[in-house]
Amino acid sequence: MAPASLRRACPLLGTYVDISAAGSDHRDLVAAVDAALAVVEKIHRLMSFHDPASDVSRLNREAALGPVAVDPWTWRVLDAAVDLNRRLRGAFDITVAPMLQDLGLLPSGADRAGSACAPAPSDTIELMSDRRVHFRHAARIDLGGVAKGFAVDRAVAMLRMRNVTSGLVNAGGDLAAFGPHPQTIHLRDPRDPTRSIGAIDIRAEALASTGGRFDPFTSAAIAPPAVIDPQARAPARTICGVTVRAPTCLLADALTKVVMIEGEAAAPLLDQFAAAALMVRADGEIVVTPSWQAARAA
Amino acid sequence: MSHWIKWTAPAAALVSVTSAAHAVQYLSVAQAQKLAFPSATGFVEVEAGRLWKAQAGGKAIGLFVFDRVIGKHLFIDYTVALGPGGQVHRVDILQYRESYGGEVRQASWLAQFVGKTGASPLEVDRDIRNISGATLSSHHVTEGVKKILGLYGHGAR
Repeated sequence: MAPASLRRACPLLGTYVDISAAGSDHRDLVAAVDAALAVVEKIHRLMSFHDPASDVSRLNREAALGPVAVDPWTWRVLDAAVDLNRRLRGAFDITVAPMLQDLGLLPSGADRAGSACAPAPSDTIELMSDRRVHFRHAARIDLGGVAKGFAVDRAVAMLRMRNVTSGLVNAGGDLAAFGPHPQTIHLRDPRDPTRSIGAIDIRAEALASTGGRFDPFTSAAIAPPAVIDPQARAPARTICGVTVRAPTCLLADALTKVVMIEGEAAAPLLDQFAAAALMVRADGEIVVTPSWQAARAA
Repeated sequence: MSHWIKWTAPAAALVSVTSAAHAVQYLSVAQAQKLAFPSATGFVEVEAGRLWKAQAGGKAIGLFVFDRVIGKHLFIDYTVALGPGGQVHRVDILQYRESYGGEVRQASWLAQFVGKTGASPLEVDRDIRNISGATLSSHHVTEGVKKILGLYGHGAR
């Protein structure tokens, strides 16, 4: 059979989800990419902060009152988020939603509790049996920091399950590649979206970036990053942008936020997760952890 | 192993995104139609270049709409397939053009897009396949899909 390739994009997760895939049969490839996009769509539906019917919205409305049953995937992302919160010493926190709302980065609905503009205590999220979730304290969560990465990971898993030989799933810069050949990824300069600060080859791993938000519809300028320091309760500002490479996109996605906040102090945490990072500092210096390019030198 | 080192990118990589714009062509209109309605036996053009009725064995099985969002600096071609009940069946980005900086505000640069249709491929510099960096908002396409639903979401028959 002749090798086939396919590339599609759909507006999902607030950005463009771009899937390219190569395999042996065009028809199988079409079905595989369809299935992968359906996976992303499902995660979008479950974990949207904006959709009142999502698991996240249901949790934000009801979980402080009593246990709420959620989809197995939502449960998995919450489980990962709680674990990361513990292992990253609070530098990663999904309960910063009220602060994002105050800054206008998330919509403020009628459900605003008013006063609670602080991260919830770290024991807030109780993961119970039968995929039920209970908030021990009043809280609002936003899975924006991990859901995109999780969606990329699940889409890759679906493509592989469908015998796609190589591919790349890119959800607005949170991406993962698989297959025998390295793929070149350009890194946008967080200070100037018209420029690239360089490129990196990845193979069978994930990459995520955090920095300014770029909306070419309204302006060629960069908006401040939407990363909140849970301790300082303010946007992280000392670093312009961060790119993390890690075994999974969920991890890469979450770790970008941690490096944005902790800066160079995050290096031991990156090591712990077999991850590497590139950081564009406010003074313009670009620095990397030692394993950033060593992994690809071979 | 916990110190950071200064990074110098390979010189060749540094120049690559600094072009005025880049474009990614995903699908043609015909490819998107086929993906959206694999069982269709034909597409009847209702509005030239914009609206088609998907048919299978003489029966309407849905609508297919081509639209373009034109923002200040960005041009996106996309299609919306609507099922027989008028519900969104699928959305596909056909072509994605990203333009940058002050040079695109010049009328002459913008003029090159006037009158183009989905059938006219626009050659805009190089195609940078994969980018990680600032997140691009898909807000306007989402608004466009809502607009299309308002126009055509009343059912295909």
